[in-house]
Order: sequence, then structure tokens, then C-alpha cells
Amino acid sequence: MTEQGQGSAADHVTVVVADDHPMWRDAVARDLADAGFEVVATADDGRAAVARTRALVPDVLVLDLNLPGLDGPEVCAALSAARVPTRILILSASGDHKDVLDAVKAGALGYLVKSAGREEFLAAVRATAAGDPVFTPGLAGLVLGEFRRARTAGPDQGGREIPELTERETEILRYVATGMGYKEIAATLFLSHRTVQNHVQNIFGKLQMHNRVELARFAMERGLDLGDPAT
Amino acid sequence: MSGREPLTPGRAAVLLDEHVVVRGLWRAVDVFRCLALAYAVWSAWERREEMVNPTVAVVILGVLTGWTVVQTVRPMRTARAYTVELAIACAAILGTRLVDSPEVITSGAKTIPSIWPSAAIVGWAVLRGWRGGVVAAAIVGACSFVEVIEPTANTVTNTILGLLLGGCIGYCVDLTRASHAALAEAMRVEAARAERDRLARTVHDGVLQTLAFINRRAIDIGGETAALGAMAGEQERILRTLVSQADLAEVDRAVSGEADLRGLLAHVETDDIALVAPAEPVLLPRRVADEVVAAVEAAVDNVRKHAGQGARAWVLLDDDGAGVQVTIRDSGVGVEAGRLDEAVGQGRLGVSSSIRGRLADLGGTASVTSGAAGGTTVELRVPHAPAR
Repeated sequence: MTEQGQGSAADHVTVVVADDHPMWRDAVARDLADAGFEVVATADDGRAAVARTRALVPDVLVLDLNLPGLDGPEVCAALSAARVPTRILILSASGDHKDVLDAVKAGALGYLVKSAGREEFLAAVRATAAGDPVFTPGLAGLVLGEFRRARTAGPDQGGREIPELTERETEILRYVATGMGYKEIAATLFLSHRTVQNHVQNIFGKLQMHNRVELARFAMERGLDLGDPAT
Repeated sequence: MSGREPLTPGRAAVLLDEHVVVRGLWRAVDVFRCLALAYAVWSAWERREEMVNPTVAVVILGVLTGWTVVQTVRPMRTARAYTVELAIACAAILGTRLVDSPEVITSGAKTIPSIWPSAAIVGWAVLRGWRGGVVAAAIVGACSFVEVIEPTANTVTNTILGLLLGGCIGYCVDLTRASHAALAEAMRVEAARAERDRLARTVHDGVLQTLAFINRRAIDIGGETAALGAMAGEQERILRTLVSQADLAEVDRAVSGEADLRGLLAHVETDDIALVAPAEPVLLPRRVADEVVAAVEAAVDNVRKHAGQGARAWVLLDDDGAGVQVTIRDSGVGVEAGRLDEAVGQGRLGVSSSIRGRLADLGGTASVTSGAAGGTTVELRVPHAPAR
């Protein structure tokens, strides 16, 4: 999905890897180190992930969706509420589902299935570091469904109005959901690659919760105390 | 399941016990039988003067009393008991002929059992639904016609009321039983889903992780190990599809007759074909959903046959409120305008016209386009019924 930044963007990008399976965590960390990223810490549960990310403020947090302690969406909410600028890439073993959507709403910037190839994974980390959303068709389908639901059902459970997508944004989202890359979309719509990227960023922006009230409500629904995420 | 009342254990327990409604009806039948007997005795006493043969009336009322006592002290709710009750009721009606003179009967006098046979009608309605109720009422009605020989206004009215009584109560009982069965099925499916979710959370995540890891390491090592890794990768994909697939459709089907396209289309997903869907169910009436699934299967088959080696495809489900749109796009060779004849020869347009036909039958539309970047896009659109 992300054609830009092949190679050069790895210049001193700091990464924290949070995953509860030691084998997987070490393999991911080794791949990142081999590709020139600096892995500054690893974490094996949600609370440690929040604490280390807050302490070290890496460029990217590579986050497993199913962590003990706090799960993926909760870690994202805790970090967003604490205004940590780290960009979050979600990795999930079990595919596209509601938790992925929750994580994105709580501030994650990208999402990848664990079975993705190594090059795809490294490209996703680079894109995330550069602030570009990493979209799979599966996530695009979930995001599209969420905007559709919000339009017919009104405010979501947290009482928040999700802004509507423009026609152009809906069109682009549907293209991403049917497997088209940014380059193909740009060619089909006669737009520049950058314009398509901007649209995708706007779509993410509309979905995400921006203020502490929303995040606190989200946290309360999930039984999470944002007061002191470091404990 | 959003918007639907959740099945709390308490509510479910009440609804699950079919006997709450049916038992209430049985009690009503028992009470009614006693009151009807009292009324029959009182009616007979009132017109004792006009009877030709009061002794027979006493014998008939004695038999009715005996049966009423038996059914009150130890109620029997079986087909056999109600066959006996129906037979007694009919005999009592016909026995009236022995009690009264033909003139009295033709002038519209009450039968000796009066309203007592209604208990048997309701009993059959509870036992066998509306059919049982109507048949029992018809038998009782037939006996009254035989008894009067020349039908009076009362005979006709009472027979019609009997048929209504048996039919209506029987219908209510049928509804109760049907909704009970649907609820029991829904709860069974819900329990199965909860259990699978639990397994998915605890076991599958770890297994998927390990399989994905084996695949990744095996590719690093290369050689024969890479083949083993590919096998692990294949299993990982199958298991992932299984775990994330939504079979909530089954619950919806049992409760509302609507089906979730996500569940119905889970089987089209393979290594090269991805199903892209929202987190919420994509609901269509069962019949419509089946047609859409058939159309999607035809389109996906088309991709497999014609899109060429290494082509990938995506099936997007999108419900925009006004209708459901299914988009099947592949990354293979498109249909160029100049190659239409060739495409017809390949059977490719034949398939798409059959897809169009299916969608037209549903009041929807289908279109096939070729993208600028290659590949073919099939768009299926089905509007929601206006009632929504």
C-alpha cells in the first residue's frame, strides 16, 4: 500500500516493540535492527508498553493487538490521552475485526496482519514513522463500515458525532478496500500520489478521537483508568 | 445484534419454559369445564318441566359430572383423555334427542351439555394447534346438526363460535410453540458463538502467531524448510479465516429471517481472494442474500477462470443505508472494448449477463467495468426494501 520511502527513511528511526510472544518479539526486533531501525526497548504486556513508550517516546510503537494487562486499543487510548507523539503500528495475528477499528479510533496510525511478509512489514514501519497511515483493504472495509454506521445510527456509543466523509474520500476508501494501491488510485482519478495520501490522512483524522473527554469516555467503557497509565 | 434486546438469562428462562403459556391455558380449560357443568345443570333444572324424559338428562349430567371431577382432581392432558372427553360431549349432545320431544328441540332448546363441549374443543386446540381445535369444533358442530335434524339459528351460531374458538386458541398455541423453538435455536447458536469466541481469544491467537512465525523463519532458512513454512502459512490463513468469520448470521436468521452476507460469503476467501467487510452485520432478507451470494460466486469463478495467473481479487461489502453494494475487483487482465467478441467467445460476458439477470430480478443492478490500471470490476447493487 505504501510505495514511498523505500530504503532511505530508516535513518535513525527509533522503535519500541510490544508483543507477549518472546519468539515473535525477538524476530521482529532483529528484522528491524537488520534494516537499520533502532529498537530502543521491547515490552511483553500492555502496561509495560505504555510505560516504556511514555519514557522513551520512540518514533514508532509496533504493537500487538492482544497483549495481557492492557490490550491494543487501550494502549493506544492511554498514549493518546497522555499526548505521546509516538506513531503506532498495530500487528494482529487473527485478522481484521472490531478491535482493530477500536485501536485506530484510539489513535493507531496503521495496521498489518502478522502473516505479512518482511518487506511489507518494514515498509509499513517506515510509512508509519513518516506519518502515513498503513491501510490494508481489510481495515479500509472496517473504516468504511464505521462511517456508514455512524451516518445511519447517529453519534457512536461515546455520544460523539463522527464527521461525514466527502464523496471523494468515500470513493478513495472504496478503492483501497478493493485492493488498489495509492499509485493506481491516483492514476484512475487523475490525482497526484500526494493528494491521494492527503485524502487518506483526512479519513483517519475524521475517525480518530481527538480530545481527552472522548478518550476518557472510551477508556471508561473499556474499564481502563487513564489517570496513571504508568502503573 | 445491536438494537435488539439482549437475551438475559432471566428473560430467557421465562420464555424458554413453553409451559408458562400452555400451562395457563390448561388451567383455564379445567376451570371452564367446572363452570360449564354448573351452567348445564342450572339450564336443565330451569327447563325440567318441558323434558319428556328427565331421567336420561340426570344420567347424562351424571356422566359429565363424573368426567369433570376426574379431570379436575387428576387432570390428564393427553390425546386419549381428550378423545374420551370429545366422545362424551358428542354423546351428551346426541342424547338430548332422548330427553326432549322433537318440537322442543326444533323450537331451539339448549342441549343438555350446553357449553360443556367447548372444553374439549379448547383442549384439542392446545394439544394439536389450530388444526386440532378446528377439527374438534367441526365434530361437535356436526353432532349438534345431527341432533336438531332441522338446524336452528342457535345451532349455526354455536358451531361458528366453536370453530372460531378452536381455531384462534390453536393458532395462539402454534405461535407460542414456533417462537419458543426459534428462541431456543437462537440461544443455542449464541452459546456456541460465545464458546467459539472464547476459544478464539485464548487458543487460536497463540497458534496463529506460532504458525506465522514458523512461516517467517522457514523463508529465512530456505530450501526444503521453505516448503514446510509455506504449509504453516497456508494453515495460518485457513485458521485465521475460521476464527474471524462472523456466524452471527445464524442468530439473525433464527430471530428475524435476515441473513448476514459476511457469514454467507466467508467461503469465497482464499489466498488470492480477500473478503472485505464492515464490523457490523450486512443484513439482507434471506432469499435476497442467497441470490446475491450466487451472483458473487459466479463473479469470483469468472475471476479464477479469466483473470490470469497470479491475479488477486477483493470482494467488498458496503451497506450505505439505501442499499447493499458488493464490489468484486481483480488485478488481472481487463476486458478491453475491442476484445468484446473474444470475450463473448470465452464465455466471460455470458457469466456477467447471468449476474445481471439475477440482480435485475432483485430490483438491483450489476455493472462490469475495466479499470485504467487493468483488472475487472463487477459492481452489484441491491436496494433495501422501502419498509426499512
